[in-house]
Amino acid sequence: MNKEISITINGEVYHQSVPIRMLLVDFIRDVAGLTGTHVGCTYEGVCGACTVHIDGEAVKSCLMLAVQADGRAITTIEGLAIDGKLHPLQKAFNDHHALQCGFCTAGILMNMAEFIRTNRKPTEAEIRTALVGNLCRCTGYAHIVDAIKEVAGGAGAIH
Amino acid sequence: MYPAIIENYEAPRSINEALQALTKNGKDSCFIAGGQSLMQAIKARVLAPKRLIDLQHVKELKGIEYNQGAVRIGAMTRYRDIAADERLDGAYQALRDGAAHVGDRQVRNRGTIGGSLCWNYIAACMPPTCIGIGASLDLVSRGGRRSLPAEEFLQGPLETARHDDEMLVAVTLPKPPAMSGSAYKKWGLVTDALPVVGVCASVELGDDRRCRKARLAIGGLATGPRRAKAGEKALIGVASADAPAISKAAETAAASTETQSDMWADAEYRKKLIETLARDVIAVAFARAEQGNRS
Repeated sequence: MNKEISITINGEVYHQSVPIRMLLVDFIRDVAGLTGTHVGCTYEGVCGACTVHIDGEAVKSCLMLAVQADGRAITTIEGLAIDGKLHPLQKAFNDHHALQCGFCTAGILMNMAEFIRTNRKPTEAEIRTALVGNLCRCTGYAHIVDAIKEVAGGAGAIH
Repeated sequence: MYPAIIENYEAPRSINEALQALTKNGKDSCFIAGGQSLMQAIKARVLAPKRLIDLQHVKELKGIEYNQGAVRIGAMTRYRDIAADERLDGAYQALRDGAAHVGDRQVRNRGTIGGSLCWNYIAACMPPTCIGIGASLDLVSRGGRRSLPAEEFLQGPLETARHDDEMLVAVTLPKPPAMSGSAYKKWGLVTDALPVVGVCASVELGDDRRCRKARLAIGGLATGPRRAKAGEKALIGVASADAPAISKAAETAAASTETQSDMWADAEYRKKLIETLARDVIAVAFARAEQGNRS
């Protein structure tokens, strides 16, 4: 029922015996105590608030078991700023007022951090399509898109 | 939404190890591919597998290989990798159309073509696409291997011809004729939503640039993904510029398909969706086939 696993989160190794049925998001929140990764939809896989990076790729951590991440490197929102210096997206979200309640923000930042790394100069339509997996109930997305545009330097970037 | 107790988890490194794990564990064990559908079912306790065999580390199941024009897509190849592979363009471009809009970025980073085919959910893009491009599916078990057309493998929703001791290892496609093209399009309630209806078309043109072979496949049906053979027949001899004939074929495809009413679309509206999507994808498939002519 339990399995011993070793997961690296934001550079720190967590070695632990966990129930096989434990979801990765619960490992991150309850075992590692990193509560910046959120659960917005009672684990239904639809809200994207639990998005983290696994070996650099954005995935929903409620759609994986913790045992599936054994041996892999995870980055959560707590690992996005490096040495206290905010990721450009974090700064842009602040500048553009791209969050209100903030519940969805961690997931959006993790998804978009990978997106802009692999898609230089995305169009607004590409940014909006890339956001399909993240629900925000406050902002209407306009300021989120503006912030991402600025950082990605996309067509029609605002200055 | 939380999984029932799972007694055992294994992550084999090869097909052989995976098949051994399946034999050893027997009943109540289950392969997990990308898990983007299966985890939902496990959390909702639609399924409660006692033992999970995770295929994520089986390298030989991943990647797209080209051998003298023939294509072999490993069952564990992710949507993101299919969507990005320009070598599929033309005859098998429908795969990219479909894969590029499954779920969302996060889902495409983990979801796989093989997982989608084995799950055969009613609202899925890979099943009708694979039928529409005439794909074959390779299955292995400890007793041997077999290959069968996608349309025989895919049965009613959530049903396939896979035996309990078998694993889907690859989707294979023959070397396409010079002038061939395919396209897939879905319609859902919001951007990139689960398809209420999805249609895949592929056409092959003769030297006279008229259609000499066509396939049309429809997803989102209570019967499971199905070919619209009457629509295919109506395309034979049609030229790409012949918009009225293409419309007529799309109309025939819709009229000859049995549709159901549900909370997303009633039967009549579904027919309208099939007709509209079929018209679009047939036209795109023709245009892609014509491009093959020039290269």
